[in-house]
Amino acid sequence: MTTRSLAFDTARRGFLLLTLAFFLLPFLWLAMTAYKPSNAIFSIPPHLFFEPTLDQFRNALKIFDVGSLVLSSLMIAGGSMILSLMLGVPAGYALARSSHPAAMGVAYFFMTIRMVPAVAALIPFYLLMRDIGLIGSWMSVVLINCVLNTAFVSWMMFSYFRGLPKELEEAALTDGCRQFGAFWKVSLPAVRSGIIASALFCVLFSWNDFLFAMFLTRLDSKPISVALLSAYGTKDITWGTLGALAHFSTVPIVLIVLVLNRYFVQGLTKGIN
Amino acid sequence: MTNIAMNLSSTDQARAPSGLSSIPFATRRKFFLVAMALPAVAYVIALGVFPLVKGIWYSLYEYNLLKPARTHFVGIDNYVNLLKDADFRGAIANTVIFTVFSVAIELVFGFIIALALWRDDRFNRVCLTLILIPVTITPLVVGLIFKGLLLADYGMVGYYLAQWGLTDPRGLFATPSTALATLIFIDIWEWTPLVALILLAGLKALPGDLLEAAAVDGATAWRTFRSITLPLMLPAVMLALTLRTIDAFRVFDSVFVTTGGGPGNSTNTLMVYAVKEGLSFFNIGKASAIANIALLGVAIIAACFILMIRHFDKRANGR
Amino acid sequence: MTFMKGNFQKFATVCAVALMTGMAQAADKPLEGVTLNLASMNDQFSAVLAQIAPKFKEATGAELKVDIMDYGSLLTKTTADFVGHTAGYDLITMDIVWAGQFAANGYTVDLNELMKRDAKDLDSADIYPKLMEALGNYKGKQVAYPFAGYANVLAYRKDLFDAAGLKAPETMEDLVAAAYKLTDPAKKQYGFVANGQKGPAVAQDWMQYNAEMGGAILDKDGKPALNSEANIKSLTVYRDLFKKAAPPGAADYDWGGREESFRQGIAATMQTWSVGAPGYYDPKTSKVVGKVAIALAPRGKGLPKIYGIGGWGMAINADAKDKQKEAAWTFIKWVTSPAIQKEMNLAGAGSYIRKSTVADKDLNAKYPFLPVLNEVFENGDGDYRPRIPEYPEIQDILGTAVNSVLVGTAEPKAALDAAQEAAAKLF
Repeated sequence: MTTRSLAFDTARRGFLLLTLAFFLLPFLWLAMTAYKPSNAIFSIPPHLFFEPTLDQFRNALKIFDVGSLVLSSLMIAGGSMILSLMLGVPAGYALARSSHPAAMGVAYFFMTIRMVPAVAALIPFYLLMRDIGLIGSWMSVVLINCVLNTAFVSWMMFSYFRGLPKELEEAALTDGCRQFGAFWKVSLPAVRSGIIASALFCVLFSWNDFLFAMFLTRLDSKPISVALLSAYGTKDITWGTLGALAHFSTVPIVLIVLVLNRYFVQGLTKGIN
Repeated sequence: MTNIAMNLSSTDQARAPSGLSSIPFATRRKFFLVAMALPAVAYVIALGVFPLVKGIWYSLYEYNLLKPARTHFVGIDNYVNLLKDADFRGAIANTVIFTVFSVAIELVFGFIIALALWRDDRFNRVCLTLILIPVTITPLVVGLIFKGLLLADYGMVGYYLAQWGLTDPRGLFATPSTALATLIFIDIWEWTPLVALILLAGLKALPGDLLEAAAVDGATAWRTFRSITLPLMLPAVMLALTLRTIDAFRVFDSVFVTTGGGPGNSTNTLMVYAVKEGLSFFNIGKASAIANIALLGVAIIAACFILMIRHFDKRANGR
Repeated sequence: MTFMKGNFQKFATVCAVALMTGMAQAADKPLEGVTLNLASMNDQFSAVLAQIAPKFKEATGAELKVDIMDYGSLLTKTTADFVGHTAGYDLITMDIVWAGQFAANGYTVDLNELMKRDAKDLDSADIYPKLMEALGNYKGKQVAYPFAGYANVLAYRKDLFDAAGLKAPETMEDLVAAAYKLTDPAKKQYGFVANGQKGPAVAQDWMQYNAEMGGAILDKDGKPALNSEANIKSLTVYRDLFKKAAPPGAADYDWGGREESFRQGIAATMQTWSVGAPGYYDPKTSKVVGKVAIALAPRGKGLPKIYGIGGWGMAINADAKDKQKEAAWTFIKWVTSPAIQKEMNLAGAGSYIRKSTVADKDLNAKYPFLPVLNEVFENGDGDYRPRIPEYPEIQDILGTAVNSVLVGTAEPKAALDAAQEAAAKLF
């Protein structure tokens, strides 16, 4: 390595470390509030050191059934991910393989649906869910998250499948595979990483969604994103409770991202070109 | 396409003459593709379009769930009143400013980070994982984190900013001229990592030989970047741009928990306005009208992007 | 073998006894098998409610599920539940300012009948009449039963007042003068603090000060009069206080921010709900322990001595099934009974409705400010924030107008004129 490129590499790493600090320190502050006694969360002037305590976790657990919150979040995120993939992946395939001009129109339609402001759909959706008796269940949140997610997955998989050489399937089709067989056995494995990327986007979106879930769930089906806001009460000191709860909402999703991170990058790589 | 179809139908007939295969392959292919797309389209229409159409219907009424007696048809009055409403025009302006600035800065900053992370070594892999943490945090909580940090009187960061005279002593959120910029900053904090990730994926897909060839030719780094890297990266840039624009335009959570649209109306965005009307006052007619105008806005943006994507597609295919 | 036989007999006996006690319990517990869903505000009382839920089950057999929410979610979800007739919640904690809305739309059960029927169980003479009225009665309809009464009080720093040779402010004029006198930005010491954040926070605090300075939101006919002379004058005083005597960040404070500033010791006076007061005495949360006194809120010179009250009523969803309604009513009777009220407040609920609770010896030993509460509840005013159906919109209009004045983007008169114009359209 020449001195110049070594210097460049050091600068690059330095830059990345600074960037990391920028992106991590704010979250670290919130996470730390969970271990601070209530009177040490703020001070004048602010200081960094404190005697750690687990009181905030105790408070959080007193008000919230954290197990049930995390379970609801997992069910909502998982459920809407599975359903969206089941609907969206075949649709993306069909749009990519069709040469009909309407296909582009449908892709455009999906993209527009993904953009719909939540509030436009909420009230009519609430009344619809009431009429079919799903208010207060995970299913209702899964169903509405799925509208946006299906649209997104179809749109994203559309570009993935388009990037896949047609010759692959054509060979399979001539080999005597039925059409679905060709899709299932040949095309699908080839875009596996794209599916993982879509899945992650679905999970992220549903996990973090607050408005739909706040509106449609009840105590037994409430996900943790909704409880987080509830933790921020009005007159009480609640930063610590919030920090404690934030652990439960962030750790699972960070773990998922950690595990799937590599596929994520690979997945996106293939889809883009 | 027809070529294979012919190929196929001949082999099919030779192998197993069933009822299905008497239909030409091209037709079966069409049916198959429609059958694959149908569930998703039907689902989205049933659960997504239906409420939207209802929303358009509602927007033509004076319709407040809390004042059922007053419900009546008003035509386009809701829209006319909104366009006359200075608060609403302000909300549009804020939304556009918010979207343009946050997305532009995210793209530039994200690109720089992606370039720094390009080389595949252990250090970069660890960095990439850690850098993604903001993306995984619920936007509501992100808003609250910065609210807590930036409190002017005793927040960890806000205190020093005010103390050293870097900001108005009232703090960033309480000063009309800085509140919107602060919200843009929060959006950048949360979403730049995602943009960097998407762009990094694009970088990794670049054909290495092309770049090497450019290096051998003695092209400067900047020229390589401008004439090779950037054009090849356009699809990735478009993906990031589209995703972020859609979501920035609908920003709600972080504004809702930090300023609530204030001070005054200086950070009032379309979604904050719509959610207030819809979910606090249950003024469904007006909320639907706001949402529909917002939807129109996003649809126009979407159309622009689609056109751009097609344009690049054509250029790529033509090459 | 005999050993095993003996054991088996023992086991059988235990089973039989358990079965019999179980049956006996079922007979005493008429609500066995009923589940009540309670939508509760996340306030000091909510954790206590969740804590005492098992006790309610023990007493009546009914299970109580407490869904604790923030203010916005609570209002949105319960309203959706009412207008959709989904009966997801049987019991709802009702902010006193929602009473008009609830009454106009008949969302909740009018409790008058039940109160007449069970008058002898209720001991309602022990409940402050002002609270009975403000926490749920709207134009004769009892849309909620008083559950958690809060008193607006003045919390002030006795140490700073003593050092400056000042007495506890009795009039608004005293308070303003003291606020200016005790402000010294160089020492991070400010004389006054209130909510400045856009929205309900700034609107509610200003309405409080406005009433104390002789202003009013509605005129005599119940129509909005936001830009009256008195209101403009009070908003001007209020703005100047924010500019010169409040912590600079106050323009962005909500309740949490305001309370924190007082607990941090940078504010010398603060008007607040009594529910937060126990926190100032707790070294775990407060840096001003032993330096705080709680007093009656001041009034402008010559104004009648009445004090702001607020808090929460407990309402029954009108869409609930009859059996649920009856069980919910049983819960209300139970939770507002003197014994449970005392227990809740000992556990830190900070929510009072009964004279006997406020006068209780054990509670007074723990919370020395209870006599102030008694005075406030006896002379309470629950209408300084008008409890009319249009309240949410008025609060929103004021929330933006007053905030604009505080951050300097509008002048008091112009802001209130515009607010009045917007408010008039609601009627």
